[in-house]
Order: sequence, then C-alpha cells, then structure tokens
Amino acid sequence: MSTMTARRSPAGRVLLYGFLIALLAVFALPLLWALSASFKSRADIFSYPPRLLPHPAVLDNYRGLLEAQPFWSWFTISTVVALISTAVSVLLCSLAGFAFAKYRFRGRNALFTIMFSSLAVPFAVIVVPLFIMVAKARLTDPWFALVVPWVAPAFGIFMMRQFTEQAVPDELLDAARIDGCTEFGLFRRVVLPLLRPALGALGVWSFLNSYNSLLWPLIVISEPEDYTLPMGIQALFGATGRQYDLVLAGSVLAAVPSLLVFFLLRKQLLEGLTAGAVKA
Amino acid sequence: MSAPTLERPPTTASPATGQGSWWSRHQREAAPYAFVSPFFVLFGLFMAVPILVGLYLSCTEWAGLGTPEWVGLRNYADLLTDASFWTSVGNTALYVVFTLLVVVPAALLIAQALNARGLRGRDVFRLAFFMPVVISPIVITLVFGLFFDTEFGIVNGALKAVFGFGGIDWTGDPTWAKATVVILVLWRWTGYLTVFFLAGLQNVPRELHEAAAIDGAGPLRRFTSVTLPALKPVTAFVAVTVLVSTAQIFDEPFLLTQGGPGESTLSVAMFVYRAGFQRQQLGYAAAAGVVLFLVVVALGLLANRLLGVGRDSR
Repeated sequence: MSTMTARRSPAGRVLLYGFLIALLAVFALPLLWALSASFKSRADIFSYPPRLLPHPAVLDNYRGLLEAQPFWSWFTISTVVALISTAVSVLLCSLAGFAFAKYRFRGRNALFTIMFSSLAVPFAVIVVPLFIMVAKARLTDPWFALVVPWVAPAFGIFMMRQFTEQAVPDELLDAARIDGCTEFGLFRRVVLPLLRPALGALGVWSFLNSYNSLLWPLIVISEPEDYTLPMGIQALFGATGRQYDLVLAGSVLAAVPSLLVFFLLRKQLLEGLTAGAVKA
Repeated sequence: MSAPTLERPPTTASPATGQGSWWSRHQREAAPYAFVSPFFVLFGLFMAVPILVGLYLSCTEWAGLGTPEWVGLRNYADLLTDASFWTSVGNTALYVVFTLLVVVPAALLIAQALNARGLRGRDVFRLAFFMPVVISPIVITLVFGLFFDTEFGIVNGALKAVFGFGGIDWTGDPTWAKATVVILVLWRWTGYLTVFFLAGLQNVPRELHEAAAIDGAGPLRRFTSVTLPALKPVTAFVAVTVLVSTAQIFDEPFLLTQGGPGESTLSVAMFVYRAGFQRQQLGYAAAAGVVLFLVVVALGLLANRLLGVGRDSR
C-alpha cells in the first residue's frame, strides 16, 4: 500500500464520490428528464414539481410524430448519409494516415503541414463560397452535398497517422513486401487489420460528426423532403406553437443511433481520440 | 489506384523483377502519393478553392444574383465600423475566455477526481460525462432550453423552491442569455475535455507521485510539481483545440437564443451566417469570414508559440 492510499481519509472518499455523483446528476438528469417527458402528455410535461416518472405514461407523442410527420424520411437521410460518409472517410483517412506514417517521400513534410493546417480553417470562411459553388453546380442534392465535401477530414488523417506509427511495425511491412505484396495489398492485408481499434474510433467520430451536423445541411438543403433529422426537429420546434411533445419524442429517437454507436464503440472512441493528444 | 494491377500475381509485382506495368515497377515510390491524393483533391475542391473564392467575394458586393460588383476593401472598412460585428467579436471573445478559464480547468479537476486510485465506476462516470457531446446539439440545446425556460423551467422552479426567487429570464435578458449560453458550453464540452486530461493523467507514472509524497510534498504541491508538468502536451493540445473551435462557436448560441436578445449572444460565425444567408450580403459575409480566419490563425500561432504544441509532434 502506498503512502497515498494510506493517507486518503474516509471523509475524502465520501467527498470524492459525492462530487462525482453530483456531476453525474448534472450531466445525466436533463437527458433522463427528456426521456421521461417524451412519455408524458402535453399538459404534464411542465407540471410542477416535476415528476421523475411519467404518470400516466402515454405513447401519444411518438404516435403523433411518426404518423403526422415525415420522421422516417429525416431519419433515413441522416442515417444513410452518416453511414456512407463514415465508410468512405475511414478508408480515405486510413490510407492517407498510412502514407504519412510509413513512407518517406518527397514533399511529405510540406503535404503534411498543409493537411494539418487545414484543421485551423474555420468553417465560417469557406461556408459562403462553398455554398455558392455547390449551388451553382446544382449539387445541392443531400447525397452529394452532405457527403462528398466532408469525407476526408484532416483530423481523421492525423489520428490515423498517429495510430499507424504506433501499431504497425516496419518489419512487418518489409516482410510482406518480400513476400511480393503490393503496396495497396500491404494496406489491405497488413495495416487495416492492425488498425482495427483505430478504425472503430474514427468510425464513431465521423458518424457522429455527420449525423449531428446542422449548420451545413441548414444552408445547403432547401427542399423539405430532403431534410435531415436535426433539420426536421428544428423545423418542428420552430413551427408555430412550439410542439414540445413532438420535439421531445423526436429528440429521444434521434439520440438512439448516436448513443448506440457510442456505446458499442466507446472504448475505441475514447482511446482513439486521446491517442494523438497524449502521445504527441 | 487501378484495381487490376493491384491484383497481379506476386512475381510481377516484386520490385526486383523490373518488369510489368509502370505501376508495378514504381509502386513503392508512387503509392504514398496515390494514398494521400483523395484528401488533396477534396481539399483543393472544397477548401482551397472556396478560400480563394471567398477572398475574391470579400472584395465584392453581391446579393447572389447577377455579377458580383468589385468594391475593393470597402467590406473590410465597413466591418471595422459595424457595431454588430464588434458585438459579435466581443461575445466570441467572452466564450473563448470562459472556455479557457472555466471549462478547461473544470475538465482537469474532474479528470483528477476520476483518476483517484481505486475509484469504482470510473468508466460509468467517464461515459456519462462524455454523453452530452455525443448527442446531436439540437437535442441537447432543446432539452437545455426547456430546463432554463423562464415560466416552466425546472431551474427556475428549483431556485424558487430553495431560495424563494426564481423569475430569472434566462434567455430573454441580455446578461443572463450570455450566462445561459456559457453554461450550455460548460455542460456540453467539459466531459469531452475531461477524457483528454484523464488519458494524460493515466500516463503519469505513479512512482513519480509516490516519490514526491515520500519527499513530503502535499497534494497541492504534487499537483503543481508532478501532475501539471507531465500534462503539458495534453494541456497544449486541449487549449489549442478549444481556442480554435470556440472562436468558431455557432451551434450553442444559434440554437439556444438565435443570437438574441438583440445581439447579446451573437457570435462571429453567426454574424457570417446572418449576413450571408439571411441578409444576402454575400461579399460582406465573406469578408467577415476572412477576418475570422485571420484571427483563428493568429490565435493558433500564438498558442503554438506559447505552449510549444508544434514542437512536440514527432
């Protein structure tokens, strides 16, 4: 037993757990409240004092949302766009990350610096010209506009470079080359399997980025039938009468895919995100 | 990348044979360029070109129809005397300063608590704290807005129950509205940053702490002389990330208060959005975007110089 643990008083422990549990309440309660409120009738949502459990629990909000609103269309567009973006960006970022980590080539440092500096370019500086370009080229279709400009994020490349440097031994690459493996074969057969945890991390990261994005869809999508889920919820909320009941039900359903991918790949995401920062 | 050549039998693909297609002979030199090219194509089309177009547009007056009219640097001159623009700069500076001085230290404090030895449920805490950043900002902001609703909100209700007053107009009063946005930022981002600090703390060797403890260093002393120096790379990373991303803050004020009341929560990114997409002043919006870009780059370089982020990346 070290001196630190020995010296730690029971009172300190109580304080520590008290602090963490209070924080847990602060972070989780609003979300749990929303979950509970989504099952309350419209009149009960704001009853005071707030009741933790809905009583009576009703499904009216969900029914109203699913029957009267094009919820499934919003949901499908958001989810499919996010899945396509994720698949493509995981491939492109790991390819580029592999190149930056394991090849010595002319212009490597300059290219890396350009790639890395692009992280500092604010969205606000490109948003107006990018919108004009996309609109003039008549590419405001969600399958193009919400996917293609964003499938090679510099952050993802940086993250994959850090991982490849750590996870892929040079000897393994050389051995595979001697066995006659092509360069792309190296990537597919040697690098990708070794990078699996990092691919998970990048996958969740890009899924969440795409699925949650609001500003760009808001600018580029104009047809209501092309609305993404965040846009749909925003429209519901912005409509007259502030339909809190429908909005809450929509919010709960919208949170399901985010939380699902997060919980499935939480370990990879948290470790993957921090790998670049800690090992820098 | 041409698929057929990649599927060649191993013998011809071997660099030693010197036969086969150009690709199979030069693939080792050409491969890295092929691998990074998708990024650079997309970067060129969707970032470099827009930046150049933005620079051009920023010197024009244009409502989106017809031809942009060249006005030189007039948009920039107008920005300098535009009270709304300065309000948005002031608000954004407030968000940045708050994030650096409150959110980052709070995240470090929580990470320190989570790093306590023998803590039970560490992963549960960590996940729960991280959750607000996973869920869509629109959902988070809506729930948050309902909590802080003046008439029906639980926050005012609780204040009334505990302190006997609770009529705070959270999103309707200019000062409180800023406070509400800032609380939302705190709630949404603290857990995210905590994860970085916790990973950094877990990298600090226990022996270092124990040695310092044996030398008689108290908890505070150990924190300043062991923990903080070891956390320098993480802190630098977090500070630069936070600086660059908070300077561009959009979602929170846009969704919670629409920049209001008046312009009391308007950020620079919202200013750009409003000028470009609500007022059709595309040239003016582009100029504001360029200014934001320059400020972000300057801040990034400054932070880099102060914290030495770039030098650490090996």
